[in-house]
Amino acid sequence: MSNLLYILIFLPILASIAIALGAPARLSAIGAALVNLAISLFLFASFDSTAAGYQFAASFPVIPSPEISLSVGLDGMSLVMVLLTAIVTLCAVWVSPKQVEGSLGLYYCSSLLISAGGLGAFCATDLFFFYAFHELALIPTFLMIGIWGTGARKMVAWKITIYLGLGSVILLAGLLALFINLGGKSFDMATMQAAVAAAELPATTQAWIFLTLLIGFGILISLFPFHSWAAPAYASAPTPTSMLHAGVLKKFGLYGLLRVAVPMLPGGINTPLPLPLLGEITVLDLMLWLLLGNIIVIGLVTIAQKDLDLMLGNSSVMHMGYVFLGIASYNSIGFSGAVVLMFGHGISIALLFALAGRIREHTGTLTISRLGGFGKLAPFLGLTFAFAAFASIGLPGFANFAGEVAVFLGAFKGAGTEITFLQGATIVALWGVVISAVYMLRAYRSVFKGEPHEGATMPDLTFSQRIPVLILVASLLIVGLYPPILLDKIKPGIELIAKAFAE
Amino acid sequence: MGNFLEAPYLLEAVVVVLGLALLMLEAFLPKADKRLVAYIALFGLAGVLVASFNMKAPENLEHSFWSFYATDNLAFFYKNIAVLATMLVIVMAIEYTPVLEKYVSQGSKQGGLGEFFCLPVFVCAGLMWMASAKEFITIFVSLETVTISFYVLVAYMRRNVGSLEAGVKYLILGALSTGFFVYGVTWVFGLTGETHLEKIGIALQGLEGSDSAVLFAFTLILVGLGFKVAAVPFHVWVPDVYQGAPTPVTAFLSVGSKAAGFIVATRILQPFLEMERLHSSFTTILVIVTGATILFGNFAAIPQTNFKRLLAYSSISHAGFLLLALTCTPDQFQLTPGQVVAFYLATYLLMTMLCFLVLTIVRRSTESDEIAAFSGLHRRSPFLAFALLIGVISLAGVPLTAGFLGKFFVFTLAIDSGRWILLAFAVVGAASGFYYYLKVARAMYWEEPTELAAIEISPLARLALLLLIIATIVFGVYPAPILGLLTN
Amino acid sequence: MLETYLPILMQLGVACGFAVSTLIVSVLLGKSGKTNPVKDSAYECGMLPIGEAQPRFSVKFYLVAMLFVLFDIEVVFMYPWAVVFKDLLVTSLLPVTLGMAGFVFILFIAYLYVLKKGALQWRD
Repeated sequence: MSNLLYILIFLPILASIAIALGAPARLSAIGAALVNLAISLFLFASFDSTAAGYQFAASFPVIPSPEISLSVGLDGMSLVMVLLTAIVTLCAVWVSPKQVEGSLGLYYCSSLLISAGGLGAFCATDLFFFYAFHELALIPTFLMIGIWGTGARKMVAWKITIYLGLGSVILLAGLLALFINLGGKSFDMATMQAAVAAAELPATTQAWIFLTLLIGFGILISLFPFHSWAAPAYASAPTPTSMLHAGVLKKFGLYGLLRVAVPMLPGGINTPLPLPLLGEITVLDLMLWLLLGNIIVIGLVTIAQKDLDLMLGNSSVMHMGYVFLGIASYNSIGFSGAVVLMFGHGISIALLFALAGRIREHTGTLTISRLGGFGKLAPFLGLTFAFAAFASIGLPGFANFAGEVAVFLGAFKGAGTEITFLQGATIVALWGVVISAVYMLRAYRSVFKGEPHEGATMPDLTFSQRIPVLILVASLLIVGLYPPILLDKIKPGIELIAKAFAE
Repeated sequence: MGNFLEAPYLLEAVVVVLGLALLMLEAFLPKADKRLVAYIALFGLAGVLVASFNMKAPENLEHSFWSFYATDNLAFFYKNIAVLATMLVIVMAIEYTPVLEKYVSQGSKQGGLGEFFCLPVFVCAGLMWMASAKEFITIFVSLETVTISFYVLVAYMRRNVGSLEAGVKYLILGALSTGFFVYGVTWVFGLTGETHLEKIGIALQGLEGSDSAVLFAFTLILVGLGFKVAAVPFHVWVPDVYQGAPTPVTAFLSVGSKAAGFIVATRILQPFLEMERLHSSFTTILVIVTGATILFGNFAAIPQTNFKRLLAYSSISHAGFLLLALTCTPDQFQLTPGQVVAFYLATYLLMTMLCFLVLTIVRRSTESDEIAAFSGLHRRSPFLAFALLIGVISLAGVPLTAGFLGKFFVFTLAIDSGRWILLAFAVVGAASGFYYYLKVARAMYWEEPTELAAIEISPLARLALLLLIIATIVFGVYPAPILGLLTN
Repeated sequence: MLETYLPILMQLGVACGFAVSTLIVSVLLGKSGKTNPVKDSAYECGMLPIGEAQPRFSVKFYLVAMLFVLFDIEVVFMYPWAVVFKDLLVTSLLPVTLGMAGFVFILFIAYLYVLKKGALQWRD
């Protein structure tokens, strides 16, 4: 039982080794992803939603001093992320092509390794492996975009790799600073958390570390103004890579903020820091300004996109702003909303990329003006795309809605008669919903409504191709119609985090 | 000295005897295949490696001999590094034989190749002795044993202009650096009347006045060591020598020479840094050198198009990270700078040797060291491409490879000691490392191959590559065995 | 304090004095007679002073010369050893004897190597 998480993490890695040694690529990859989904669902079902703290915990000591161990465990938040990863992984390998130019094995291995990195990072309860697993995705992404990308693939692959490399090194510096300031003895997150109270860090120190973590994680999340790598990378990457990266890996930064920065640096958020050019500003205010940048600036940028893939990439960057807003609200409702929104966004963007990838595969282009009337040619494609688009906008009935509502509620919780910057920012951010409705619906209309262009064809999805799409749509609807399925499990863990802050 | 016959220095003695035996074999059997010499060397060194793990430090250390011969964990650790590096270099040299034949023998088959396999053994003996040296004269003698052997090895391909150029540059600058080092040593001796590092430490504590003399001596020694470990601004010889020397020798220089420089630096800097009055001055000098090394090494590597030259700059940048560890005085962190440096060097050995081994094999089949020669290597030999990929990402410091842990510990030390500016440099340097190391990965995986013929790999090289790949990954996840050697 | 340096000063005086005095004496005693071209030419032990300024030697000369210097210098190490040999004999007989034996052994191997490689053969 307690070894299930190890199986979960290492199964994709073992499958990649098997593929490298000559096992049939597609079969092994789908097999591993299926088993992983089954394990995740089992974990989800047997998760005790009344208990706080980590469940299914296991630990394997690596170094005694400083204490590093390959310890894993799940609380509600990581459980949801693991489930998200398992679902998206299965769909991503399923929609992967059966034939590629070059080595098919490498193609599937890369996807599996990205997935293993995500799973490892979400399961790890040791800061070292939390960080290290995330980086497992870096090189596969580099190879995938560089070999099988479209458009300016080489430039894009460089950009994402260097951006993420820089981000993760900054993040490493921040995490290590946290480690040293919390005693410098153990990388176990629970031990570090317990040391927070005793360490009595000066608020300014906490604020500096928080800022470093915000920049480090922020680069990985594509927080404005560190976002410029994201949209071109997703547009250019092969479909499974975009799905996994936008759907799963980008959530690592947000998850990390909630897991590490928020509970371990309780005093860091509201302490003003003298920053160059900005003057005295607290990290919270800075975060709010930047997330408004994500929502409004990138939102407007998204409206201006002429290609479907770039539009989706930018929209994914924009929606990160809402998750940030949930974190910035600093209460359990906002945090829970952020987690649900991460799940919803991960599924919906993966679905959108999967469908867009299907269109590009057939037509060779994703320029919106050259597409049209696909709703008539391929009704199933049109319908599911509409679902995904609506979910992405945040219409009721989809997981994203549940998340966004909770985020907005969290932001207004405990609001008095005076409007704080948080609430002001939330009011501005609400307009982002309108912006995303504009670009999503416009894109949907141009691509799927109206008459098809002369001679255009678009075969609908075959039965086999429908399965991953249906899995994704179903996940969106189940969570959207009955959010407590996630919220109940998230609650105890999130309240623990919120409590750490409240003290 | 009752434990005379069971002491650790027998390891060095055995290595020297092995080297002499090989020379005799080479001289008395001129007709034999010269690779026989290499295989015997390999087996002999493997025996020494096994023996070194079973060797314990003698308990009775009263004899004056032990005052200039250290038997601590660090010494044993560096001895292991030296033997392992030498073995890998000999494997590489066997692979490199066709290239050597072309530039050395000229006509006669394998003429003049034997010494190429013997000399590394003597270098190894020097490196091993240096690992234990804690007295200036011993340090100097072992340092010169290594350096003089290298003079020959670097210029070994005597019909290749590049190799000769490298040899001349290495000779002149090596001699110059030795001069600086010895001059520094004489100043220290003049100030303290001692050559034993421990006694120097005590004498320096009690020294009144003459601060500038101590600083001068320190700087001179640092200049000398700076040449050996390739620290900026004493790095000028590195790119040309690395590029010109035969590839196995470059690998040896990069790992062996660097390891030797750092064990000596670890031991020599200690008495100085313990001198409280001048601690900040010493550290300032070190910090400036370190900052320059990190920035220069990483930035100068970016535009390189020749893989060997790239590795030369990479060697400089790694020297920067290692020096960064040496400037630190940790407060909370449980590993000492000396241990971190040793650990870093062990991982550096694995990944650098991996890269050079692939380079040697590819060089033999493409006749070029350019990064362009690696184009489409993935199509030609997926195994080689994967091996090199692991090598370069480990050098870049991607987590879950051994190279990451070294950087990880160095960063922790830097934060713990509050070296914020150097840390910022290191962050920038590490990030730029992603670019220039992955240039090789780009060539291997993104580019189209110029020819499609598969590359032949000998079973020995394949085994070595496989072991190195496994070690790089396993120690990246589970470094306890290496750390255990350093701490228990 | 400074009187210990007196011998050096004297040596300095002698050295300078000798150089200066020989120069002066040669001018004083040398008679300037009649000159002719043969007399003015450089005196080269009867050899014609014609040829390159830096005559070329066989590379083997350097090899032999270097080997000579090497083996010659190594002997120097035996002197300090011999000086302390008697004292050390009491405390550590084995290391002292074995140490020098090892040293000589290495030299011997080196000599064998040189011999076998034909470094001392003048003709091929």
